Parts: sequence; structure tokens; C-alpha cells
Amino acid sequence: MKIKINLSDKILLILAGFATIFVLIAIFVIENSLQQVLVLGAVVYLFSFITAYLISWRFSKKIIKLVYRIEEMASGNLSKKFTITEKDEIGQLKNALNELVSRLQTGVAQDVSKHKELSRAKTDFVALASHQLRTPLSIIKWYVDFLISGDAGDISAEQKKYLKEVYVSNERLIELVNALLDVSRIDVGTFSIEPEPTDIIKKVDISIQKFLQKIDEKQIKLERLYDELPMINLDPRLTKTVFENLISNAVKYAPKKGIIRIEIKKTKTNIYIKISDNGCGIPRENQPQIFTKLFRADNVKKIESVGTGLGLYIVKAIIEKSGGKIWFQSPSLEFLEQKGKKPLKKIDNGATFFITIPLKGMKRKAGTKKLSS
Amino acid sequence: MTNKKTILIAEDEAAMLSALSKKFTSKGFDVLEAKDGEEALAKALDKKPDLVMLDIIMPKIEGIEVMKKIRGVRQWGGEVPIIMLTNLSDADSVSEAAKFRVYDFLVKTDWKLDDIVNLVKVKLNL
Repeated sequence: MKIKINLSDKILLILAGFATIFVLIAIFVIENSLQQVLVLGAVVYLFSFITAYLISWRFSKKIIKLVYRIEEMASGNLSKKFTITEKDEIGQLKNALNELVSRLQTGVAQDVSKHKELSRAKTDFVALASHQLRTPLSIIKWYVDFLISGDAGDISAEQKKYLKEVYVSNERLIELVNALLDVSRIDVGTFSIEPEPTDIIKKVDISIQKFLQKIDEKQIKLERLYDELPMINLDPRLTKTVFENLISNAVKYAPKKGIIRIEIKKTKTNIYIKISDNGCGIPRENQPQIFTKLFRADNVKKIESVGTGLGLYIVKAIIEKSGGKIWFQSPSLEFLEQKGKKPLKKIDNGATFFITIPLKGMKRKAGTKKLSS
Repeated sequence: MTNKKTILIAEDEAAMLSALSKKFTSKGFDVLEAKDGEEALAKALDKKPDLVMLDIIMPKIEGIEVMKKIRGVRQWGGEVPIIMLTNLSDADSVSEAAKFRVYDFLVKTDWKLDDIVNLVKVKLNL
């Protein structure tokens, strides 16, 4: 950029000074009167001072304005540009700043699109990988099932036991792949919510069915406290995912002979669901991250080495995207009175998850993909 | 079995086709196998089975297309129960299939073979 040098304030002042001295000498030579010279000197000096002050005031006003705008830009507002009316340094500065703003604008736009591209590629990869993984997983599931059921000939009790281990592990893989797919659909925002009139209590009971064996094994006491409820508009798949995740956690973390309490109530505007267990609870220092993707609390890692850390993330996304709310309390206050005067053991902190869903049902959301399918 | 039911299973993944076929045969069904959409359509039109099970993504002709063609066949084509098998159940193909009265949409990893057999038995009133 070509820099045009204007007469700056300093040069102006120096020139004014020279002019003053020149005028004073000329008057002194012509009039030969020191008094007049002194008076005139004072007047010229005052005049120069006022001029300098006015010039610098005009500039600093403009510069303060510029600083305000630059501060605005620094805080991320790149939408406005300077209108250039001046032909001096201020004009040049504004011009240079405008160029800077345009460059920043393109830079930011590139960054955003690059970021979008990356996250799109990532989720596409997850979706593709999950679909491709499902075929071999189905094949393993079906053939192992074949062998276990004896359709391919008799097998020994020991062989059967091992095959059951294979089957269970494979089921875990299937669940993981499903969860990964769900997460990718949540992250890209392509999942749909399709509410239809649903019997929520029936839904919860069906979800519980899946864990009855585990509940029996651990001799967990299951308490169900249900209000009478009308049919609610819920997406059946998503509701199933929510309940299965929360009940699965409760079953996993409740101690042997522990308690799980599921409460479903109706308030004026909401369905209010409480799922509590008297298990290990959520450590205070881990509580802020409990709904974060891939996060697993320190204490549960010791109880169950496996776990994706995706369940609560998915549950929260489903509930919040459909217009509901979810939160938790740990230690849970649910079982306090039952313990009577005995102080809570550290291991039995427990946790309660709370969900509200509006009585008018889940919010419909268009999308190209269903979750959990 | 006196009135043995015939079912057509179209699935391009050989191991899956074989698993389904073995299971249904062992449960007393006559099974027609097809490893792509073209074969499925030919066998369907030729034998007019009691039930059709179609994978969605298949070579030559995709499952949805096969279903549309079957539904176009007078009488048998309009009535035969069709079950779609898939690993990839997105809303588009589900709603597309719904237009052609698909009986059920099975995500393969969610189903045990015996449960699929039971579903078919219920549909065929066995």
C-alpha cells in the first residue's frame, strides 16, 4: 500500500513556531518595540496552542471511535465495515482495517466450513462403519444361536456355556454399534421424533422385562409406584431407549439385595418420572460431566469395566430434543427414611434420575433417520 | 406337514441366506432362496410363495423395487405378506415400504432366528 504523507500535527506546530519567530523578528526590526513584540508573541503562541489542541482533539475523537469498533471486532462482530470519508491517515487506517475485516471474515468462514466438513465426515464414517458392522454381527448372532439351540446337532453342556458367552458378548457389540449410530444421528441432527399415542406405563414395564433376570440374580427389590395415566404422544422407539438406558444403569449399579424404585406421576402439565437406585451413586466431582459423551464416572469403572459412556448422552438428547427435562440427584434422598436412624453407608449413596415430559407429548421433529434402528 | 408353506427368502449375504433357509427348513417350511433382486423376482413370479422375505440392499434389483413389482401382480401379488429385512432402516425406506403394505420391517441384529420364524407363523396362521 502506498502511504501518502500528510503534514502532521508536529510539523504544523514547528511551522507555526517558525512563522511566529519570523513575524516577531520582522516586527522587531520594523517597529523596534519590545512591548508590542511580547504582546504579539503571546497572541501568536495562544493561537498556535488552540490550533494544535483542536487538531489533536479532532483526531483523538476519531481514534476513540476506531478503538470502540476494533474492540467490537475483537469480540467477534465482523459484520460491519468502516465508511471512509476522510482522505487522511484516519481514512488510510480505516481502509487497512476494512481489508483486515474482509480477510478475517473469509478466514472464519473457511474455519466454520472446514469444521462442519470434518464433523460430517466423522459422523458419516461412524454411520457407515456401524452399518457395515451390523451384517457380520447378525451372522454371528444367528449362527451361535443355531449352535446353542441344538439345531446343528447336539453339543455338550460346556460347549453350550462357552457359546452363550460368545452370544452375550456379541449382543454387547450390537448394543455398542446401535449406540454409536444413535450418537452420530444425534450429532448430525438427522434423527426424527415421531410421537404416537403411547401407554407409558406399559412401555416402562416392557423395558423392565428385559432386566428381570438380572434383577432376580441380584435379588434386587423393585418398587413401582404408578399414577393412573392417560395415553401420551410419545415416540415409542425413543421412549424405549430412554427407559432401557436408565433402568439398565439402575440394575447395574444397585447393590446385591438393593432397591430400585420407579415412580411415574402426573402433574398439571407434565409426566414426572423418577428412577432411583441405592447403588454407588455419582461422585460429586464427576457430576458435571455425567451427561457428556463417552464419560464414565470413576467409581462405576471399578464396578463394571465395560460401558460405552454413551447411554446418558443419548437419553439427554432424546428428552431435551422432544421438549422434556432430565436431571439427577446423588446421593439420592429416596431411601433415607427407609434406612431409619442408621447413617447412610458410603457405598449406598444412590442416585435418582428425574424426567419430565409435557402432557401434550413429545415434540415432533422431522429427520431422515430413526434412532435405535 | 400336509399343507407345507412356501416362503421366498432374498438375501445377498450368503451366510445370512443360509442361516435363514436352514432355520425355516428345519421348522417345516419349503424355502426358495434368492441371492439378488432379479432372482427373487423371477422365483416370486414363478412359484407365488405364501410369504416373501426381502433384503433391502441387494444387487441387480433393490428390495423395495422387487416389492413394488410383486404388488403389481394381480391377486397373489396384492395379498402375499412381505417382510423386509434390513440393517439399514431409515425413515425413507420405511415410509416407502409402508406404501406397499409391508407386513413387517426387521432390523436383522434385533432378531433371533426363532423369533423371525414365530413372526412368520403368526402371519400365516400356523
